[in-house]
Amino acid sequence: MRKRVKKNMRVLKELLYLRFHGLVVFRLDFFGPFFVDGSLFFIQLFAFEAVYSNVTTIGGWGRGEMILYIGTFSLLNAVNMTIYFFGVNGIPDKVKSGELDLYLTKPVSPLFRLTFEHMSPGSVPLILMSVCMIVYGAGHLNANSEIVRVQEEAVRQFSDSRLVGALPAERIAAYVFWVLIMEILYYEMEVLMRSVSLYLVSMARMEQIEVAGTDLCMKLPGIAFYGIYKVIFYMILPYGIMATLPVQSLIGEMNWRLGIFGVSIVLVFSVLTVVVWKRGLKHYNSASS
Amino acid sequence: MRKYWEISKTYMKTQLAWKADVIFNMFFTVTKILFAWLLWGIIFREKERVGPFTFDGMLSYYIISSFLSQLEMSGGISSEIHDRIRNGTFSKYMVLPVGIERYFMAMELGVVLFYLVFDFLAAAIWIFVFQIRFVFAADWKIIACAVVIAVLGMVFMVQLNYFLGLLALKYQGIGTFLMIKNNLAALVTGSIVPLALFPEVFLCMMRMLPFYYVTYLPAMLLTGLCREEAVTGLLAIGCWCLVLQFLIHIVWKNYIRKYDGVGI
Repeated sequence: MRKRVKKNMRVLKELLYLRFHGLVVFRLDFFGPFFVDGSLFFIQLFAFEAVYSNVTTIGGWGRGEMILYIGTFSLLNAVNMTIYFFGVNGIPDKVKSGELDLYLTKPVSPLFRLTFEHMSPGSVPLILMSVCMIVYGAGHLNANSEIVRVQEEAVRQFSDSRLVGALPAERIAAYVFWVLIMEILYYEMEVLMRSVSLYLVSMARMEQIEVAGTDLCMKLPGIAFYGIYKVIFYMILPYGIMATLPVQSLIGEMNWRLGIFGVSIVLVFSVLTVVVWKRGLKHYNSASS
Repeated sequence: MRKYWEISKTYMKTQLAWKADVIFNMFFTVTKILFAWLLWGIIFREKERVGPFTFDGMLSYYIISSFLSQLEMSGGISSEIHDRIRNGTFSKYMVLPVGIERYFMAMELGVVLFYLVFDFLAAAIWIFVFQIRFVFAADWKIIACAVVIAVLGMVFMVQLNYFLGLLALKYQGIGTFLMIKNNLAALVTGSIVPLALFPEVFLCMMRMLPFYYVTYLPAMLLTGLCREEAVTGLLAIGCWCLVLQFLIHIVWKNYIRKYDGVGI
């Protein structure tokens, strides 16, 4: 196991070097994802600023919570763009052209190589921008929210070493934990959607579903969903929980039921992704797929 | 004129080749309506009015705005020109016995006429599914003004995308810029949230830009709002079309000489 991890790390380092080398040849393209996605999330912020200039809360969430939400979705997307999006996105084309053969013959996991071979270092500023949004959002949390109450209480009663800045350390740890597992879910959804190309000739519809789902959920936090919409965006296309659960864990709206639900969804989708991908590879018939 | 009508008809027929695309495009208009339904549903639980809108007025705005933005399909023109200039196949358009810009206008007309029926059908279905009490202007003069502004808005967008595509004659890669433009256009045309909710200063700035008249103003007029802006809106978008036509003329004249027909 240790040997395998070591080998994968060596491959990862080499892939990153090759990618960096390729990207600096096209200088403008280097920061392309940063400008495109950065503008997208700034526009979301701007649009919600307009909404909040007319209302005080949306489903109990104030301006701060919404900035946190947009920042968190932006962070998930930024890590996605930096590490695996461009690699995973190329799977359907590689299946169609038969180029996947090359990956299957290499002495490294095909999915591992596909995931990390097109890393985009130019998207790193997007991560920094998202972190700034999150910090700014945390500073503008609703005065009535529980987190502010906890902060004030903690600061008032004693100077606790567990406090990082003014936020309780447990909440920050929980937030980081949820961001990490939601990033895994994001990755699994991308692989799952593109694994369809191993079974079907065209997967344009799956891409449309993915775009529609992410487009809706990056604008709308999960708290807005109810009934059938909640079932769809929490369980079938779980884009609705990706940024919602981390924010809820940070602002103190997370309970054990929601926690178990979130972890279960990630586990279910992990198993599903592994099964669909592995069965898909057996289904793959080289260039004639 | 007849040859351009033939181009429109050809593109209309071409759309029929991808029947599933038509159905899916129609179906995915639901995301915009669903966004509005869920977001404003929560907000209007606590408030009767937001800005100039009631709940039904707001949803009607989104239905019309979504209908108009679905019809505006000229985004592909700039990427088509950009790609063809970069790989040297733009010559295809130069050898045709038609004006290139008018060719794209005719192409857009064909696509719009085809999708008009389906987008109208989609709008009617969503009104029924979400049980929206649809708010619509009663004054026929305002309706006529809104329709003309919307048509001129589409002409402007074709011109803009043609103009941006031509910039590839001078600049090597404008792909990133085009994607940023699409992001910005969603905000400034009022597709994400109505511009009426923004501060007055921002609204004044937007009135000076052409995007205000592409989707936002026609949608507002058709929901019975901003009636006093109907005539000025018509004049403003007309002027913007003329200004852009002038810019296209200059860019074409100066940059077409740089095209060598072998790709970059």
